[in-house]
Amino acid sequence: MSALARHLRLAALAALALAGAAPARAAAPLPVELSNVDGRLRVTADLGPAITPDALRELSNGLQNVLAIYVSVAPEGGGAPVAVYGRIVDVLWDVWEETFAVTIKDPRNPDGMHLVVPTQAGLRALLASGRDLDFGPVASLPPGPLVVQARVELNPVSREQLQRTREFIASAGPRAGGARSVLGAMASFLLREPPPDADVIILRSRSFVAAEVPR
Amino acid sequence: MIGPGPGPAGPPGEEAPRTASAAGEGPNPLRRALDRLVPSRFERVIALALVIAATLPLVAGVVLAARLVTENVSVWLAPRVVDRVQGIPLLYGELFQARKALYAEQARSVARLLPTDPARAQAYLAAAVEHTPRLRRITWFGADEARLAEAESRTPWDEGEYREWAAHVALAGGGRLDCIFAVEARFFAEVEEARTLGEQVRELDRLRAELPRSYGLAFGVLLVFWAAFAALLGIWLARRTTRRVTRLVGAVRQLAAGDLSVYVDPGRSQDEVADLTRAFNTMVRDVKEGRDRIVYLEKISGWQEVARRLAHEIKNPLTPIQLAFQQLEARWRQAPGDPDFGRLVDDAGQIVREEIATLQRLVEEFSGFAKLPEVRPEPADLGEFAEEFVKTSPQLLEVAEVEVVRTSPSSPTLLDRTLFRRVLANLCLNAIEAVRPARARLHLGVARARDRVVLTVADEGPGIERPLRERIFDPYFTTKGTGTGLGLAIVKKIVLQHGGEIQVGDRPGGGATFAVSLPLVERAGPEPRPGASH
Repeated sequence: MSALARHLRLAALAALALAGAAPARAAAPLPVELSNVDGRLRVTADLGPAITPDALRELSNGLQNVLAIYVSVAPEGGGAPVAVYGRIVDVLWDVWEETFAVTIKDPRNPDGMHLVVPTQAGLRALLASGRDLDFGPVASLPPGPLVVQARVELNPVSREQLQRTREFIASAGPRAGGARSVLGAMASFLLREPPPDADVIILRSRSFVAAEVPR
Repeated sequence: MIGPGPGPAGPPGEEAPRTASAAGEGPNPLRRALDRLVPSRFERVIALALVIAATLPLVAGVVLAARLVTENVSVWLAPRVVDRVQGIPLLYGELFQARKALYAEQARSVARLLPTDPARAQAYLAAAVEHTPRLRRITWFGADEARLAEAESRTPWDEGEYREWAAHVALAGGGRLDCIFAVEARFFAEVEEARTLGEQVRELDRLRAELPRSYGLAFGVLLVFWAAFAALLGIWLARRTTRRVTRLVGAVRQLAAGDLSVYVDPGRSQDEVADLTRAFNTMVRDVKEGRDRIVYLEKISGWQEVARRLAHEIKNPLTPIQLAFQQLEARWRQAPGDPDFGRLVDDAGQIVREEIATLQRLVEEFSGFAKLPEVRPEPADLGEFAEEFVKTSPQLLEVAEVEVVRTSPSSPTLLDRTLFRRVLANLCLNAIEAVRPARARLHLGVARARDRVVLTVADEGPGIERPLRERIFDPYFTTKGTGTGLGLAIVKKIVLQHGGEIQVGDRPGGGATFAVSLPLVERAGPEPRPGASH
């Protein structure tokens, strides 16, 4: 299973879990444009409200950062999302070149698309852009009000990161030099992913019904 | 374990102590094996005690450890630490910016004084590249991109590898000056390392709530393993004791049921249970020996009564028979007649006299056996007694070579010298007859063994077959054509009356060995007379 597919599945679960929760941090509705292209639902979303100055500052700290963006179409009253779109963006501020090295992985670019962005403004525009996201046949949308929901998380704990931390814990301890301590090995084995971060930003659009989607 | 083991000292071939099954053992081996796996109440108590003793401090340790991990995480992942560590790459970024600014300024300085004459400019650039720190190369391009002058540093770079950075300065008269500066490559390695470290710290910071939980769980898992180990250890330790006690209880039950052949293996332990087991085995052995002694003496008493009656019944008619035949012979000699009848009387007289003599000898032996006197033991040294016996038995030395070996300077015991001479005489006679008509070689040995003194009489004859060893002490049992079979019975009775034992076995190198053991009496005094009650 690819990392993107795994993230998508996690996103679906997270979206399901958060569907009923009030979007406390979503002050304004998520701006979206819906269209019906050849019978398929296309969504253009402006994720700008999720790319906060704090997030941009963190993305410019010289570390490898990951921005996980999941956009889903879900019933307004809650429930399992009807369709999910995921995008994983790796961002590294190169302190020598003074540019952002960006890698975008999404269904269109499963192997990743590499970009160099010279400025924060350019980076923000790139991250906020969710253009023509394909959510499948309009006919398959359920009746009733729907919403487009965006979930933006900066530096989620990935499985790879968790594994790195496990190695770090297992190698640390009284027996230095690469040897593993029993306690450290056991603690690393028992280390689990943290619960969903409370700082996750969730944006929801105004509700719509399938019939309202313009051609 | 209860079972075959080193039972009471006995001669080879003697019946081994019968194995006794532990109480509660059934006929089904699988059921027995499953029953053995189930811990007893005592084992459960011991295991529980060990588990409690082992886990109580550990539970407290787990709580403290979880607290310690939490505090450590708070210290090492304090927000200031996390922020500073994550901020290191940006510090390098500022360093790089400063370097770039410096290099750009230096390039501009070089450009400001650049001569317009290319020939002079070459010398100027050569001097500039040598005097400007980290400037490695300068190239002057004209407006048409033609290379007008160029200089490269000849100063060796001694700071390892470096990365080049170009400062481009546009010149007022057209063209440009390209200044190539060196940046230490180690900075890039350091910034990479700082980035990795910062990411690791960030991940740990994200997992800060999980770390104490995982360490607490790890402690808990170790605690469970430790408790299980303690329980198993407790059961094992308890079982080592309870099994032996259980077997001992089973053996006591068998003993109570009258089975005196029971034996419990004490094992190699030196604890109280092993001492109890050894004491039990000693007690069983003593009881068995006492019972055997009583049974044998009662049997001998019965045979003595038979012998007395036989002697009486045979002896009484012998004299009249002898007298009547003597009268018959006397009358015949006074008036001899038919010579054939005279020869018949002579032959019959010889036969009658020989048979009467045989019967009289038999009667004497029966009488002797029936009238064995009561044992009157006195303090004596068994070794000295044996040597004295040999010295005062010239008839023995005429028919046999006898050697006496004493392995201990003293072997005090209680002896009825008269009767014990008979014991030795019978044993020696038995040995001599075993090798007849050859000359016998007898080996007498006297030794001390714990609380016993042991006299051995060994010969170099054919030995005694194992099946016969149980019966040779029975009265009237003999393997010889002549003899009454009373000699060894008399020997055993006398030995038993001394509180001793007699056993028969093989002699190393061939032959039979009779071992007579008597109680060791260290000091002479009013000791109880062994066997007097029998």
